[in-house]
Order: sequence, then C-alpha cells, then structure tokens
Amino acid sequence: MAGLSDLELRRELQALGFQPGPITDTTRDVYRNKLRRLRGEARLRGEERPREAARARGEEAPLRARPAAASPRAEPWLSPAAAGPASATPGAYGDFGGPAAAWSGSRGLARPAPLRRRASARGSSEEDEDGRPFGRPAPGASPGLRRWWAASPASARPPSTLLGPDPRPGLRVARAGPAASARARPEAGRRLERCLSRLLLWASLGLLLVFLGILWVKMGKPSAPQEAEDNMKLLPVDCETKTDEFCQAKQKAALLELLHELYNFLAIQAGNFECGNPEKLKSKCIPVMEAQEYIANVTSSSSTKFEAALTWILSSNKDVGIWLKGEDPSELVTTVDKVVCLESSRPRMGVGCRLSRALLTAVTNVLIFFWCLAFLWGLLILLKYRWRKLEEEEQAMYEMVKKIIDVVQDHYVDWEQDMERYPYVGILHVRDTLIPPQSRRRMKRVWDRAVEFLASNESRIQTESHRVAGEDMLVWRWTKPSSFSDSER
Amino acid sequence: MTTSQKHQDFVAEPMAEKPVGDLAGIGEVLGKKLEERGFDKAYVVLGQFLVLNKDEDLFREWLKDTCGANAEQSRDCFGCLRE
Repeated sequence: MAGLSDLELRRELQALGFQPGPITDTTRDVYRNKLRRLRGEARLRGEERPREAARARGEEAPLRARPAAASPRAEPWLSPAAAGPASATPGAYGDFGGPAAAWSGSRGLARPAPLRRRASARGSSEEDEDGRPFGRPAPGASPGLRRWWAASPASARPPSTLLGPDPRPGLRVARAGPAASARARPEAGRRLERCLSRLLLWASLGLLLVFLGILWVKMGKPSAPQEAEDNMKLLPVDCETKTDEFCQAKQKAALLELLHELYNFLAIQAGNFECGNPEKLKSKCIPVMEAQEYIANVTSSSSTKFEAALTWILSSNKDVGIWLKGEDPSELVTTVDKVVCLESSRPRMGVGCRLSRALLTAVTNVLIFFWCLAFLWGLLILLKYRWRKLEEEEQAMYEMVKKIIDVVQDHYVDWEQDMERYPYVGILHVRDTLIPPQSRRRMKRVWDRAVEFLASNESRIQTESHRVAGEDMLVWRWTKPSSFSDSER
Repeated sequence: MTTSQKHQDFVAEPMAEKPVGDLAGIGEVLGKKLEERGFDKAYVVLGQFLVLNKDEDLFREWLKDTCGANAEQSRDCFGCLRE
C-alpha cells in the first residue's frame, strides 16, 4: 500500500473499478484511503463468494464501492496522522539519506567532474617536476597525478563549489575558476582546456630546453686542468739529474704531462668500452703494461718516470680521475707493485653515445616514476569505488527502513479497521512482502542493516516475539503514537 | 432538500473573491482551519472539488480530513459548490 507512486495508485484504483481524478498533494491522502477501503471490500467479498463469481464481483465492486464508502464514515474518526504517513511525498525519500551522507556523497560525486579538469592542470604544472624528455604530454600522467590533488583537499571543501578556488598557487585555473562557477559548465570547460593546452605547450618547450642544457653541461666537463701543465712545458732545460728548485718544478711538470697523457688515454679507452667496445676490450681497467707501453710511445719517457707518476697518484689525496686497481678489486692499493690495472673515473664518450645513454636513463627513470603513479592512481580509483559502494548501501538501507515503517504502520491501520487479525506483523513476512524472491539474497545485507537500524533507532516500532500461526517469530508492532510523530509530513 | 440562507446567498451571485467562510456549512472555526491549509478563498475550495472530479464522497472525505467538518457541514458545502 505504501510506497506507491502516483501512477501505481491510479492503476490500482482503476483495477478496482474506480476512476480517480488528478492525484495532487491535496488529493493523494484521499485516494489512498479510497484504495484501502476498496481493497478491504474486495477481500471481504472474496471470502464470501466462490471463485467462479469473480467476474460478477468485479462488476459489482464499483457499484458497492459507493455505498460501502459511506460505512467507514460511521467509524470513530481516525486522526489525520494515520493517513498522513502513507502520503509521504516522493521527494522526501531523497532527503532522508541526504544530510547523513551529504558531505561524503557529494564529495564522491563532485570528484570525478573537477578531477578531469583539475588533473590536466595538475599534470601540466607537475610535469615541470617530472623531467620527462621531449616534453610529450602523456594522458597517463595527468590522471595519475590526482593523488596529489586528493591529498590536498582532504580538509573540508565545500562540495557545492565544483570549480572553487584552488589552493595551489600559480595555476591559471584559479583565475578562471570563480568566473566559471557562475557560467555554464561546457563553456568553462572549453576555456579551461585552452588555458591548459597553452600551459602544456610552454611547459614542454621549457622541459626540452632544460634537457638540452643538462646535456651540454655534461659534455663540456673535462677541459679544466689543462692550463697549469701547459705553462710548465715551455723551458727546454735538461733537468734529469739536477735537483734545484727550478728543475724540481720542471720535473713535476713533466710528471704532470705524463699523467695527463695517461688520463686521456684511459678516458678514451673507458669511453670506447662504454660506447660499443670496438676494440673488444675486456674491461674498463687497462693493464699496467699496456698503459706503460702506450705512454712510452707517446711521451718517450722511461719506466721510472711512469712508476714515479703512479707513486705520485697514490700519495696524493686528490681525485685525479685515475683509479689504480690491484688483484683484488675491492682492496685499496698502497704500493706500486700491487697495481695491476688502471681505470679512468671519467670516461670520455662521443656525443651520440652520450645522447643515447642519457635518453635511456631518462626513459627508464620516467617509466619507473610512471609505474609508481599508475599504481597509486589505481589505488585511488579502488578507494573511490569502495566509498561509493558504501554510500549506495547506506542509501539503500534507509530506503528499506522507510518502506518497512510504512508497511508496519499500514498494517496497524488495517488492523484497526478489522482487516488484519493481529496488530503486529512478522519481520520475515515484511521482508517477503517488500523484496521479491530473486533479490532476497542480494539484498540480505541491506535488509539486516535495516532491521538493526529499526531495532535501535525507531521508537514507533517495537520488536517483539510472538506466537504466530503456531510458531514463535519476531514481529514488529506499531506503537500508536500521537499525530506529531511523522517526520515525513 | 431545503437549502439554508447561506447557501442561497452564495449561489445568488458569482463567486469572485468571496472568502471561504461564505461557503455553506463552513463557519468560523472551519474557515480558519481551511485558511491555515492555504484554502483562503472559496474558489480554491472549488478547485479542490473539481480536482476530485466532483465526486461527492471524496470531496466530503477530504473536507473532513482537512478541517474536521462533520457530515452535515460537508454535505452543505458540497451542495453549495455543486451549484
């Protein structure tokens, strides 16, 4: 009886042979009572006559309806509240769950809409921190950065302002935001899109420049410690055996020159090794003999000088760019004898090689970053889905509670009109009335929560245990309160 | 059926802006109750009567629900509006 929409009410009345006028706020109660009465009479007549006279009964029903309608008038007058609850307007149903879940619900709803726009704004501004090569904007990046947006409005944001003021500085969206909230949404969206695409373009160009700059810096490094040694090479005095100050300086210069050559050689070899290894070297570490040969060829200096150079490297604390490695790579070498091979710490590689290596590193880093973002984004999606599900469940529960209250109350009213035998109605019976068999398993959770809610939060319905039709069962009884007890009215 | 003086007065001339208290059967108390519900003029009550398809039982029941009119009062009101 309760929970009938206007159309259903109209159909029911017509099925019983009565032609109702328009069903408005003022006439709804009246027609509901009419339906109740007609149903009662139909039931009574069904008990009196045999089934074959169904047709005749159907014809007589409208005739009988009129005079029978006069009889309830003789009854003691029911308070208007009895008819009132049955006429809850459909609009009230939505309000019930509204205040309880307003914030979280609309937050969940408001999220998808501004997220799409916000995300691209975030994507453009946060791409600056990404360091992606060539600045190509990926659609995958922008939704993934919702995580950061989700973190920031964790504090209460007014759910009504979908495009409200943005806390993050420097976003053009903030400028468009307050203006857009007054306008139609598609227009605001288009403006937003234009701004964001321009922003993205500039951001990508900036990124490209940054990338090139970094590349150039890395290329131009090993050109520093050249001048000091060059100055010393000028004077052609023979200083093999003398040990005065000038000669010492000259010897030192020669030593440095040797070191320089060694450094270059090692760097080139290491670079070749890194960049495709055309000479098929076994490792970056060049054996001492090879290095000594090469140095002898280039500078025409003796092996003593070479050893002196190595000693100097060992004794100096500075980083000269040459590593001396012994038999055991992890051990530090202390004497010249232990040195087995030499390695450059700054390999020299060509531009193409550097470029490709840089690209590879950048791409792998970015991929890792994206995987992390995608993972977090997936997590967020999952969470949002869960929250929405919880919301829906809660709403469903409140709907169910409302229907139950209506059913129990109607049952009581029917009992007062002698149409029912007991003033209480079994809980399971109500469930079977409200939920069709195929949905019972699906709605089990909702039903249980609704029953719990009624037991704890509804004062007008008492949960009792009675013996009905020979079996003990839990029932609900409507405790007849005053006419002010209807919150739906 | 004999009609009261109030009835005669009401049906003698067009309804226009007559207050709801001018309807036959609607006295001070009932009139006030109807006005509380928004039925402040007689034509509004006529409107309700028409919306109920001029059905006597429904209208009288509605009147009873709305302002607590008894059988006689509602019958008078209905008769008045019907004319």
